[in-house]
Amino acid sequence: MAQEKLLLLKNIRTKGYAADLAAYRAAGGYKALEKVLGKSQGGMTPAQVTEAVKASGLRGRGGAGFPCGLKWTFMPADPKDKPNYLICNGDESEPGTFKDHYLLMNDPHLFLEGMILGCYALSCHHGYIYIRGESMYLIHRVRKAIDELYAEKLLGSNILGSGFDLDLTVHPGAGAYICGEETALLDSLEGKRGQPRFKPPFPAQAGFNGCPTTVNNVETLANVPFIINNGPEAFAKLGTEGNSGTQLVSISGHVQKPGVYEVEMGHNLKSLIEDFGGGVRGGLKLKAIIPGGASSPIMRPESIDIPYDFDSVMKAGSMRGSGALMVFDEDTSIIELANRTIRFFNHESCGQCTPCREGTFWLKNLIRDFVDNAGSEELMQRVDRVAGSILGNTICAFGDAAGAPMQAFGRVFPEEFRKHFLR
Amino acid sequence: MPTFYLDDQPVDFKQGETLLQAADRAGIYIPRYCYHPGLKITAQCRMCLVEITDMGNGRGMPRLQASCATPAAENMRISITSEKALNAQKTVNEFQLVNHPLDCPICDQAGECDLQDISFLYGTGRSEMNYEKRVSGNRDVGTFLMLERNRCIQCSRCERFSRDLVGTHDFAVFNRSHEVSFDTYGDHRIVHRFQGNLADLCPVGAITQRDWRFRKRAWKLKKTPGVCTTCSTGCNITLDSHQNHIYRISPRENLQVNRWWLCDEGRINFRGLNYHPGSSGPGAGPGKKTPRLEEPQLKARGKARDGGWDGVLEALAPLLKEVAAAKGSVAALADTHATNEELFLLKTLLAEGFGSDKLFFPLQKGKAELRAPAGLEDTFLYSLINTDKSPNTAGAQALGLKGLDGPDALKGALGGKVKIMLVLGSPWEDDPIAGDISTLADLVIYLGVGGNAWSKTADVVLPGFTHAEKYGSFVNRNNLVQRIRPAISPPPQARDQVRTLCSLLGALDREANHADGRDVLAALGAAEGPFKGLNWEALGDGGMPLPGKG
Repeated sequence: MAQEKLLLLKNIRTKGYAADLAAYRAAGGYKALEKVLGKSQGGMTPAQVTEAVKASGLRGRGGAGFPCGLKWTFMPADPKDKPNYLICNGDESEPGTFKDHYLLMNDPHLFLEGMILGCYALSCHHGYIYIRGESMYLIHRVRKAIDELYAEKLLGSNILGSGFDLDLTVHPGAGAYICGEETALLDSLEGKRGQPRFKPPFPAQAGFNGCPTTVNNVETLANVPFIINNGPEAFAKLGTEGNSGTQLVSISGHVQKPGVYEVEMGHNLKSLIEDFGGGVRGGLKLKAIIPGGASSPIMRPESIDIPYDFDSVMKAGSMRGSGALMVFDEDTSIIELANRTIRFFNHESCGQCTPCREGTFWLKNLIRDFVDNAGSEELMQRVDRVAGSILGNTICAFGDAAGAPMQAFGRVFPEEFRKHFLR
Repeated sequence: MPTFYLDDQPVDFKQGETLLQAADRAGIYIPRYCYHPGLKITAQCRMCLVEITDMGNGRGMPRLQASCATPAAENMRISITSEKALNAQKTVNEFQLVNHPLDCPICDQAGECDLQDISFLYGTGRSEMNYEKRVSGNRDVGTFLMLERNRCIQCSRCERFSRDLVGTHDFAVFNRSHEVSFDTYGDHRIVHRFQGNLADLCPVGAITQRDWRFRKRAWKLKKTPGVCTTCSTGCNITLDSHQNHIYRISPRENLQVNRWWLCDEGRINFRGLNYHPGSSGPGAGPGKKTPRLEEPQLKARGKARDGGWDGVLEALAPLLKEVAAAKGSVAALADTHATNEELFLLKTLLAEGFGSDKLFFPLQKGKAELRAPAGLEDTFLYSLINTDKSPNTAGAQALGLKGLDGPDALKGALGGKVKIMLVLGSPWEDDPIAGDISTLADLVIYLGVGGNAWSKTADVVLPGFTHAEKYGSFVNRNNLVQRIRPAISPPPQARDQVRTLCSLLGALDREANHADGRDVLAALGAAEGPFKGLNWEALGDGGMPLPGKG
């Protein structure tokens, strides 16, 4: 039986962990912050922190898997005219993902320590934490944790006597999927309608309020304390080549034990479902999985005996994305799944780019035909063509997120579509 | 100049220019809906996607890029005709039409619609979208505009114009996905003075001008370049006419003057330019027929003597000669809606015919009428409307006419009752002085187009042409000389003011025989003076700076 590899969930898995500042400190929390900012151990410069994160090979856990340390080096090292900003993306809107929510709710200080370290590395003096407004309780939770830090002078001016000042603000989003896209998030944070911006300029050049900005996922930042405490090598040793560390996997769907599990990068995908998810519930057979949230292409059970990390899943024709594993048993109708998926994407498209705005609307209607048992070979090809025409032709990745899974449904499960042909 | 290659054709670009901007300057058309040179770039319509086979560093881009937003780089190689690019143009255009009603037969934009043109050029010609389209109603959004939301293709030009240039934020984005709509908040109606530009900017027939809707099909229009006469800015316009009727005035691009914009006063101006036979008399106004002077008149003691042009001029000649011979005092008052050519001939007539230099015009103080809201000072739009409501004050000044502040100043400058006074246009027409001219002169000769207080009380009335009917030139407030030309033909009995002034010169045995304003400008350009070297052809449609003013 496979075991969890606990880096991030160590405290959470400890029975009776209170998740407040005292409990976090008792469990060895804010040691990394002492190490970096405190006088006792000589401290670390921002560049050294960035270097450590870079050496650890930490990749962004939000979905794209961009190397975190590399992203940090795009920021101006010595901000003069404009302040640098670090913004934490806690929008977590990808259907099937609930790991950031779990982490923030049950151990907010782990994330906050990472956030403070990140701000220090980027010479940022005001960080923002963007959390979707639906989960107000979560926002209260994080705000309470921040209040604890201010009370203990771990936030505010001159943290630990280092001369480093930092304020953190929690900003509730208004609940749009697209606001999880980093530039749409910035617009939303600025008080505008959340719409992705075209790049260049990238956020590191002109982001929040036109200032250099880095946007990181909650889980990504939560990894930073471990890297500082144990050194980048300890982190890089975990996982597979190019995919270091552990990962939080949100398993949902037709499994016995849905939930958030922490495993090493590259853990076998099949084992995730069977050993942690407890296998398909009700003794049914596995029909399909979606390995990285609703925007990743569907996979057949035959092709899931692969390591679960960014590169391996990509090689298998899908995406690891945000680590949202959705499991479907043999009673699932793929057409209904496709219908639900495209309705979601149509509803959530910001409406800016033509292919995505009109394409998702068209696809929704096409899939509806299959739901009504009025499909045909021609319509199947049209689904593929329309979805393919959205791919890569939009400002942000939403177009890909909507188009790729729709193409995959027809490619991976053509027989399911044929069942719904007009007879 | 650095160069990139569009389908192997070298294109020069300026630093910071995007691919589409450079291609535009080189005369290569890349299809677009949301891009407009006067607005911020959003790259959202995706119609201008190009394939970048080489970023200038030997590497290509895996994805197509929006050429309107991608900065050009040295030695970049891009294609708009590669298979990938053509396919993208085809599919993006197909998507544009997914929720567009295709009601071209009843749409006012048809014939000048970007969506229509681009669909014919780049589209597939057939539709595979056989589902019900999005339907949202029409709305009355402004004093000048109607919004037909079904036709909207969500290019956001209206929103960007309202937000970034006018600053009124009238248009906003509502809803998401295919239900996105560009609309005003609640019952808010747009009232600012630049509304017509929204209709121009709209690439489809979603925003239309009220007084253009359902009046004429766009492809029937004759387009005559002209200059707006509603203020001293001299915005470049196009007079859209059909069968001798002007249906619309729209802005004409001139980066030195008005860029792409025109205020609503300038647009409404077309209403006064159309001549309807037998419509002389009061009742001018929006939508109403224009009162026009149709016949030359010579009145003696309140009784009109009708003799046509020949009769009137024959009767007038001895009167003029008599005053000239007796060295009687003669003065002229010209409105600065007159062209340089008319003012020049009027000056010649006064100087050579009567030895007089009493040539006056009502001087309007020019300054920007509107103050731009904070933060929009450099958006230019608000500087368009000037308080000087005449197009040629600078021309009158250049020709040496004396500007007067008001009718009282005129009385002082005349220094008592004069023998003959020539009135050109309608200076101070609303002032009592216009109805009380017998205290100013023994004989008042009026040259103008419309019936007003001057024409009612003048002894001689000589009907002329409007600026839509004649050749000529104006000098705008920045000393740019710009030309006008006829778009429609005048009433049969009216005569070009230039010809009339020539006739008056001829009555005093002065050699003057100019066919129209172009001839006079040639004479003006040939002589020493502020216009030296100019001629009508050389002015071109963009205008030339006044030579005398550096």
